[in-house]
Amino acid sequence: MTMDQGSDLIDAAVTKLKRILEGKPEPASESHEYVRNYTAVYNMCTQKPPDDLSQQLYDKYGGIFEDYDKHTVLPSIMEKHDEYMLRELSRMWDIHKDMVRWLSRFFFYLDRYFITRRSLPSLTEVGMTCFRDHVYNNVHFNVKQVIIALIHKEREGQQIDSALLKNILDLFVQNGMGSMERYEDDFEMFFLQETAFYYSRRSSSWILEDSCPEYMIKSEEALKKEKERVNHYLHSTTEPKLVEIVQTHLLVLVAKPLLEKESSGISALLRDDKMDDLSRMYRLYHAIPKGLEPVAEAFRLHVTSEGNALIKQAEDAATSGSVEEQVLVRKIIDLHDKYMAYVTDCFQNHTLFHKALKEAFEIFCNKKVTGSSSAELLATLSLLD
Amino acid sequence: MEGFEFIIDREVAMVSQTIRSMLTSPGGFSESKDGVVTFPDISTTILEKICQYFYWSLQYSRGKETEFHIEPELTLELMMAANYLHT
Repeated sequence: MTMDQGSDLIDAAVTKLKRILEGKPEPASESHEYVRNYTAVYNMCTQKPPDDLSQQLYDKYGGIFEDYDKHTVLPSIMEKHDEYMLRELSRMWDIHKDMVRWLSRFFFYLDRYFITRRSLPSLTEVGMTCFRDHVYNNVHFNVKQVIIALIHKEREGQQIDSALLKNILDLFVQNGMGSMERYEDDFEMFFLQETAFYYSRRSSSWILEDSCPEYMIKSEEALKKEKERVNHYLHSTTEPKLVEIVQTHLLVLVAKPLLEKESSGISALLRDDKMDDLSRMYRLYHAIPKGLEPVAEAFRLHVTSEGNALIKQAEDAATSGSVEEQVLVRKIIDLHDKYMAYVTDCFQNHTLFHKALKEAFEIFCNKKVTGSSSAELLATLSLLD
Repeated sequence: MEGFEFIIDREVAMVSQTIRSMLTSPGGFSESKDGVVTFPDISTTILEKICQYFYWSLQYSRGKETEFHIEPELTLELMMAANYLHT
């Protein structure tokens, strides 16, 4: 069989294949077409040199895909926009993968000997590389823009086609040919940047408009939604990076103004027994490395100032004539119980908060009232009992 | 084409990778629809031997370790057919 004869046969088979994959009507396969195609390739490869057409067949295989990708696949994608472009890309990608699978079966004989002997890229690799070089490389930038725009829409509350996004992002991963580079460099990096901007803007407006509890509820909701996003269509490796960015912009960078919010910040919550809100605060900041430090610090400051207020009360009472050591000691004990309850119930017995409580008490217990420090008073009282 | 037919079990035929691909390919090829594969280039004698080999191969893999006898004059053609059928 000559290359020309074989070529014609193969071309006919390929045309038929394309029509079937593209969903166009096609008469049923003739009898024994598969055998004919496979046999043709086999014969052409096993003919004695110089008629061994393996090299030409290998080149032809590559040529088929190059031609298809350049002249059919790429143009059909480029002529569309937005979501339609994504759909077309997804459709063509599926067709391309099927074509690689089918043609590989006909050309299988090449894989077994010619390719192995010369350590050439396999038929599948050839097909995939073709797609990457002629299609992916030319469209990924625009596709990425469309994806990010759709994600923004979803963040603003609109419904989008998650399945489509999942398909396309899978495509990014697969075109990395074994590494995550394409997904990371061509999509993830831009996505994370956009996410940072988005939450930075959100945080700026929320911190002005919302009370501390409201802000925390919104933050918790945002984190939940972003994790769902990972489940629906992002690659799992994106999750930690995404969570870190959201936490940084919503919670870490604004920790001080948030905790110190007048009339709704941590002081107010502690004063008003807002157990739920305090537990939420713990939950949110616990998930962040070193996140609890500012919270524990604010806690310490609050307890210290409450303790100092009690001392001042006692001092004022002393100057007006009545020395009420027992009352003071009772109040200090009550204070300790109240705040210890917060440490165990809301702050999960975390050592940082035990430490903060202890340090706060150390400060005001050593202050003197009518000549004795509260510590000394406590000691005397316990001896008297 | 010598006009002989061999009827064997599907599972047995799938010992040949080539036949397995033919039977499992999507796309409405007559091979997978009708379950009939034609080998114009393989002679009847060889094809018969090959069918015997398929059965023997399955038995061997199930533990019945017997020998498979090949007549010397068939070896060359048999090897080529085996190569073609990826067996």
